[in-house]
Amino acid sequence: MASNKTKTLNLVKDKIQVSEQAKQRRKTYSAMKKQILAALEEGPMTLPELAKATQLPINEVTYYLMTLRKYGDVKTGEIDDNDEFFYYELKKQQNHGED
Amino acid sequence: MPETTVIKKQYDALVIGGGIAGGEAALNLANMGFSVVLVEKDLSLGGKMIHLSKVFPTLDCAACITTPKVSETARHPNIKIYTYSEVKNIKKQSDKLFTATVFKKPRYVNEDICTGCEDCENACPVIVEDQYQHDLVGRKAVYIPFSIANPRVANIDMDNCILCGACEKACLAEAIDFTQVIQEIPIEFKAVIVATGYDMFDPKKLPNYGFEQNKNVVTAIQMERQLVPTRPFNSVLRPKDGKMPNNIAYVLCAGSRDETVGNPICSQICCMYSIKQAQLIMGALPMADVTIYYLHIRAFGKGFNEFYQQARSMGVDFVKGKVAKITEKENGNLIVRFEDVYKGKVKEAEHDLVVLSTGILANKGIVELFPGLNLETDPFNYVKQVKELENPSQTSIPGVFVAGTASGPMDIPDSILSAGAASSETASYIRRLS
Repeated sequence: MASNKTKTLNLVKDKIQVSEQAKQRRKTYSAMKKQILAALEEGPMTLPELAKATQLPINEVTYYLMTLRKYGDVKTGEIDDNDEFFYYELKKQQNHGED
Repeated sequence: MPETTVIKKQYDALVIGGGIAGGEAALNLANMGFSVVLVEKDLSLGGKMIHLSKVFPTLDCAACITTPKVSETARHPNIKIYTYSEVKNIKKQSDKLFTATVFKKPRYVNEDICTGCEDCENACPVIVEDQYQHDLVGRKAVYIPFSIANPRVANIDMDNCILCGACEKACLAEAIDFTQVIQEIPIEFKAVIVATGYDMFDPKKLPNYGFEQNKNVVTAIQMERQLVPTRPFNSVLRPKDGKMPNNIAYVLCAGSRDETVGNPICSQICCMYSIKQAQLIMGALPMADVTIYYLHIRAFGKGFNEFYQQARSMGVDFVKGKVAKITEKENGNLIVRFEDVYKGKVKEAEHDLVVLSTGILANKGIVELFPGLNLETDPFNYVKQVKELENPSQTSIPGVFVAGTASGPMDIPDSILSAGAASSETASYIRRLS
């Protein structure tokens, strides 16, 4: 829905300094998301399997996977045979024709 | 153009803090017909209680008690609410009148038109630790604080915003407004209720327990979040590797009754919230063992001892002992080294998740809100009750009253009682002025 209203961001863009921390957080999230989702393309995985597949520290994989789950990119599957680790899988996005 | 003068907004009472005590006090006064201005520093009303799973000893749902109170407060015609705001410079103009300034911080979102739809949040590409889930999961740089927040309005965390404009493009209501600045609102009132609550003890001050380095050592509030329906994970899981724990330990008096960390007093709530969580864990994870390491169990309130006995009969293992050190093994399990007081021996036990029952501290900085007026505090920085037995909410400043944990550690029922006392003392004070 296009709007004729001037974006308020344009009015302040030159006045606010973007922090390095914020830029880094965006980069990290985007990289983590890409790697985790790519690994899950192969099929459902537990967190230790996912850490092995992505070669990332397991606590970071847990944090970002849970964040992806919160925002609907990933869903929870079954628990493993030892009742220890859950499997996580890609949530197929419904295409509403917008993106 | 006519000359404009700033007209100060007048109220009968200012309530500082919109937690369970402040909300209760404001509601009581408003229902008695007084006009109230309520200033809350956080993005939502509801304080700490709105984030809890259940309350002890009844195991009633905390949100089910808090949210109706919060909506009643928010919709009350006699209450004006400023969230994400701070009040400063509280001064006495006369025996009957105080003045102050409310600083309303910018959310960069127009509160009146935001529908809380989360479209901005879904569009935002930056992830930051979610403070309302105590860093267990991420949130976006633009975010609705939590699902039952009141007001349920988005907020841009400008420290972590990259100014990409995705939120503004996504917002169909056109609520995003990057031009917002701090608003200063002068107010006048006859009385004040300080209901600023408490701070959690920072577990990093207990280096032997290795909070942060040992990723499977969590605080009780992190465990509490794991036990609510809006939990950060899909189940109760270890934050390091997502393993479902089956042998959980609680360490009581983590940061309370401990001279070495500067908090020699009992926090009054940790024994009972730990016993509550132990019971909830046994419901959530039926196969799990729960051990509670304690110095003394203080189950002094109505129904508390029965609640403690109930936990024992459910199979919670109570070990009388002081935990000296927690170390993490390669598999993420934790070795807890403790002194078994009854056997007089130092022992070690392995657990796969350790919960620190962290204590509570006074919320400092209240005194600075009253420049030139002497708001006295007790030796532990809580607001001093100058007539604890006769008028428990009276402070050292006439017309300033205290409610809830601002005056010392207490549980939820006591906070509500304290708010009731503060509101009736305030009402009586205001009546006597006229």
